[in-house]
Amino acid sequence: MTFLAVKYLLARRRQTVLMLLGIFFGTAAYVAISGFMLGFREYLVEQLINNNAHIHIQAREEFLTNHSLDHSFYKKAYDYIFWSTPPSGRKDSAIVENPQLWYERLRNDPRVVAYSPQLTTSVIFSKGKATVPATLIGCDPLQQTKVTTIGEYITQGKFSDLAVGGNRVILGDELMNRLGARVSENIFLSLANSAPIPFKVVGIYKTGNKLADASAYGAIGDVQRVSKSSNKVNEIAVKLVDHSQASAIASTWAKLGLEKVQSWDQVNANIFEIFKIQDAVRFLSIGAIMVVAAFGIYNVLNMTVMQKKKDVAILHSMGYSTKDIVSLFFTQGIILGFTGVILGLSFGYVFCLYLQTIPFGGGPTAVGTGYLMVSFNPAIYVQAAGLAFLAATIASVLPAYAAGKLTPIEIIRSGAE
Amino acid sequence: MSLIAHKVHKTLGEPPTKVLTDINFEIKDGEFVALTGRSGSGKSTLLYLLSSLDTPTQGYIEIDKHNVSQMTKLEVCKFRNEQMGFVFQFHYLIAELSALENVLMPAKKAGLADKKKNYAQDLLKQFGLADKPHRLPRQLSGGEQQRVAIARALVMQPKYLFADEPTGSLDSHNSEVVMNIIREANQNLGTTVIMVTHDVGFAKQARRQIHLVDGKVVSS
Ligand SMILES: Nc1ncnc2c1ncn2[C@@H]1O[C@H](COP(=O)(O)OP(=O)(O)O)[C@@H](O)[C@H]1O
Ligand SMILES: [Mg+2]
Repeated sequence: MTFLAVKYLLARRRQTVLMLLGIFFGTAAYVAISGFMLGFREYLVEQLINNNAHIHIQAREEFLTNHSLDHSFYKKAYDYIFWSTPPSGRKDSAIVENPQLWYERLRNDPRVVAYSPQLTTSVIFSKGKATVPATLIGCDPLQQTKVTTIGEYITQGKFSDLAVGGNRVILGDELMNRLGARVSENIFLSLANSAPIPFKVVGIYKTGNKLADASAYGAIGDVQRVSKSSNKVNEIAVKLVDHSQASAIASTWAKLGLEKVQSWDQVNANIFEIFKIQDAVRFLSIGAIMVVAAFGIYNVLNMTVMQKKKDVAILHSMGYSTKDIVSLFFTQGIILGFTGVILGLSFGYVFCLYLQTIPFGGGPTAVGTGYLMVSFNPAIYVQAAGLAFLAATIASVLPAYAAGKLTPIEIIRSGAE
Repeated sequence: MSLIAHKVHKTLGEPPTKVLTDINFEIKDGEFVALTGRSGSGKSTLLYLLSSLDTPTQGYIEIDKHNVSQMTKLEVCKFRNEQMGFVFQFHYLIAELSALENVLMPAKKAGLADKKKNYAQDLLKQFGLADKPHRLPRQLSGGEQQRVAIARALVMQPKYLFADEPTGSLDSHNSEVVMNIIREANQNLGTTVIMVTHDVGFAKQARRQIHLVDGKVVSS
């Protein structure tokens, strides 16, 4: 019945175009909005995966609960203990206990590409009259560049210069500006109650993230010495062969010891929560367009069925079956859906290509590519087509069903009067 | 082979009123039958029953030894498609299709659109529409439209042609033309024609008349 369905659609061009527009807009909007949203998101996630370790093994973090001291005090003397003032507070450790055990484990795990022990501490940097509190990350420079992409963000010097040892630091761009320091100058670094120690600035890095750019990197040996905690480590950063396994691996490792083990996506769980809300908004707004489009199709098709009653009767008299009649009207919806989807996807795609050329962000040294980031993930196109088809299908089912219920005899009788 | 009405009754409407009472007759292959009677006597109702478009309240219709009410929907469709042609008082052409496309619609259902194309064009030529196969119905006169409708009814070379006052909306000249076409189909193709008419002159052209009064056959 496609032939006749097409004829019907062509005969009422204005209504056909209006029905098409609904599906077209819905599809195009879905492609454009999703391309834009997911493009940025893919970039963001990529940054999260690449710039940071896949798994962080950190010093134990333990909170006291109402009953965590029961055993220590009363052994098994009582089944249940009521505290007049229940215990509270933390039972943390500042360092990873027995890091050697972890190194051993990580070295022998084929899923691990590299790991880097770190000792992070809060220090006060000073140069002349400028004093700036900041985080100093002590790491093994060679391992650190294997685990994270920090090496790529070095704007002056080389990250491996730290490895030479002898109190060297690489400053973040933001910290450098606040201190007013330059490469190859000396700055002073002091811990809570010790005398300032001179450090030499051997490099600058800039990631574009101001928070990250307000820290500094040093060799782990130097940091351990300065903080008088030799051989101590408060984090081990791990890079995996397959980042998508991170959370599963992190969960199993967490059971091996008291350390806090978190994967990159567990650390950034709040970002993924926001993604979910964005998705809901995206689906709802496109859903609204689709509902309007579906209503348009439903109304017009319903009207067509009423106007084409005589055609239905004569088709029945020629031997066309109820199935043929249903398909005559259903096909119209499908044709509209199909055409609208093709046009919508094409337009959405072209629009996305255009979006990509719009400058956005701060150029090569800041976040992003300098242009709007757009996703061309095929899943977007499949979803858009699916949604539009669903709308068109649902909208045409009822009118088609109504047409199928028309009986020729009543139409012919009323037509003869 | 024949078309038989067997103790057929038909009740219609609310409250139920008896439209046809105890109809019994047989129409043999190749006959030309006129259903006559006053307006409201039940001619159309009887024609729709005979042609499977409607079902009797009591009794049954037998076509070629098949009880119509016991045929499956698919069989009825196939039968209508291959063996029956319909012409109504109003032409009921599909407005979006050209004259030729309209004529070919039954052939399309049978998957014979290509095979029947020449025959459809022949029919249009015979009916004086040789130069108008691509016109839309609204670009044709009432008489031309009815001729297209008859061509459509005949394109499958059906065994039966059912016509409900085919000349009812036409002037006398066009009525004459249409009647000639129907008579020729009966004579040349052997089509069994069952035609409702209240035109006495046209009724006389039929070899047999079935006359209805208040839903009863008074002569056949
Ligand atoms: N749907 C209906 N409901 C009730 N009565 C009907 C209906 N259709 C037709 N009738 C009645 O049935 C009778 C026969 O109608 P019809 O077969 O159309 O007569 P004819 O074709 O001879 O003019 C008429 O009296 C008409 O009023
Ligand atoms: Mg009538």
